[in-house]
Amino acid sequence: MLMADIKGYNMPDELYYHKENSWARVEGTKVTVGMTDLFQKEAGDIVFVDLPDEGDDVSQGEVCGKIQSRKWIGKLVSPVSGEIVETNEDLDDDTGLINQDPYGKGWILKIEASDLESELANLMQGQALVAFVEAEIKRSEEEKAKAK
Amino acid sequence: MGEQWRLFRHEGVSVPTAEGLALDDTLPWAVVNQSSPPILHLYNFVPSAIVGKYQDIEAALRLDRCRARGIEYNRRSTGGGTVIMGPTVVALGLGINVDYPGLKKGIGGVFESLASVLISSMETLGVNAGFRPKNDIEVGGRKLAGLSAASEEGRALLFHTSLLVDFDVDLMTDIMNAPVIKLQDKGYNCFSQRMTTINELAGRAVPMSEVMDAIQASFENEFKISFRPDRPNEKELEALEGFIKNRYTKTEWIFSNRHPRTRMGVGQLKTPGGLLEVYLSLSGSSIENLMITGDFFSTTEYINLLENTLKWTSAHKESIIANLEAVWKEGAIHGVSMDALVDAILKAKEGQVRL
Repeated sequence: MLMADIKGYNMPDELYYHKENSWARVEGTKVTVGMTDLFQKEAGDIVFVDLPDEGDDVSQGEVCGKIQSRKWIGKLVSPVSGEIVETNEDLDDDTGLINQDPYGKGWILKIEASDLESELANLMQGQALVAFVEAEIKRSEEEKAKAK
Repeated sequence: MGEQWRLFRHEGVSVPTAEGLALDDTLPWAVVNQSSPPILHLYNFVPSAIVGKYQDIEAALRLDRCRARGIEYNRRSTGGGTVIMGPTVVALGLGINVDYPGLKKGIGGVFESLASVLISSMETLGVNAGFRPKNDIEVGGRKLAGLSAASEEGRALLFHTSLLVDFDVDLMTDIMNAPVIKLQDKGYNCFSQRMTTINELAGRAVPMSEVMDAIQASFENEFKISFRPDRPNEKELEALEGFIKNRYTKTEWIFSNRHPRTRMGVGQLKTPGGLLEVYLSLSGSSIENLMITGDFFSTTEYINLLENTLKWTSAHKESIIANLEAVWKEGAIHGVSMDALVDAILKAKEGQVRL
């Protein structure tokens, strides 16, 4: 896995990213999905993941699960459309995997993608990703400065 | 004054859980679907116990005692643990866009922004409260309010809190299935050392309306807005009815099994400082709640800090150690080392039983 460090966040080069902080690893038509390092650092300890059922259909940009960190319930947004073919059962025993290894053992689900070719264009990589992460950090810093 | 926010305020009437929670869910719905400005909902529930979205209600509550005492129970759509509500607890729901100007960004930022509104409202009442990261408002280490939230449709956010004006500790110990119940007669002390109320801190019986006024004024000051007293429009009432019908009166919602396994355990250890006891509630692989007690010497504030540092964090040994190291002060618990505390927590974890 090629490591890409953007302002202290690990965002591997070969993955595709949705602006709601999910990532997609493409292998043929099968897409593995998880949450980014940016998300897990911001969220803190993940305490529960409410996953969809295998066999469910999802659309790109649709909320397909919920993730609780402390007392906040956040959204898992599907980066691509297709059918959920597998969910990570190891998360039942240890949701901390998302914090410890967000791009490895902390993967969340796998999708058999239905429209990959056109949908990948809607996801971020390379310079667009760098600009997104930098903008997120800048926005957060501006709000902090305003509050002082 | 800048934008006008909407205010749904119910006074002098206790709201059933289904109605109150459904109206709260309507707030972010209206922000997204009706392009509504932010909406603040201030009210109080009927005597009730409300669990977090992903809590096991049967493990959290003694439902037989709730039924016998006529205490309603329900499940909210935001995170966190059980809250006991009633005529002397101000319930607050807020629907707002996460990008709203002045609202700090990110999960921690949003909690901090809204906590600061509540803290300044407490100042008006003569209560000097502070924010205990990441989710609580406290005074001298004792909890006055807990905050919880959920990202809803689009960029909308639902924020929940409850402010204790007065509180019935006996009711809480009777209906909650927390590890502290195992402490039996120690129960009262344990809760009263960890929680406080506006009445206790202000030294008088503060009317609910005064607390609601203070909260309103504080929102106006912090966000430079004004409030327009309002009620749900026709479309919002339809959404509200939907939430009542499909969530808050539905067994599948209230008794949802979409939650981690809940387990409890007790760890005891003899230390040079005395007996150390840890009561632990685990939710999946996370610590939902813990109580550190025994006959050692320390301050309530420091023990509460340790407990809160570990709540809603991973129960793995490495994580427990890392989190404790960040706040550990050598000698703050006389005769008890950090290693001993970690051992007691791990003993409680080893001895856990399913509820």
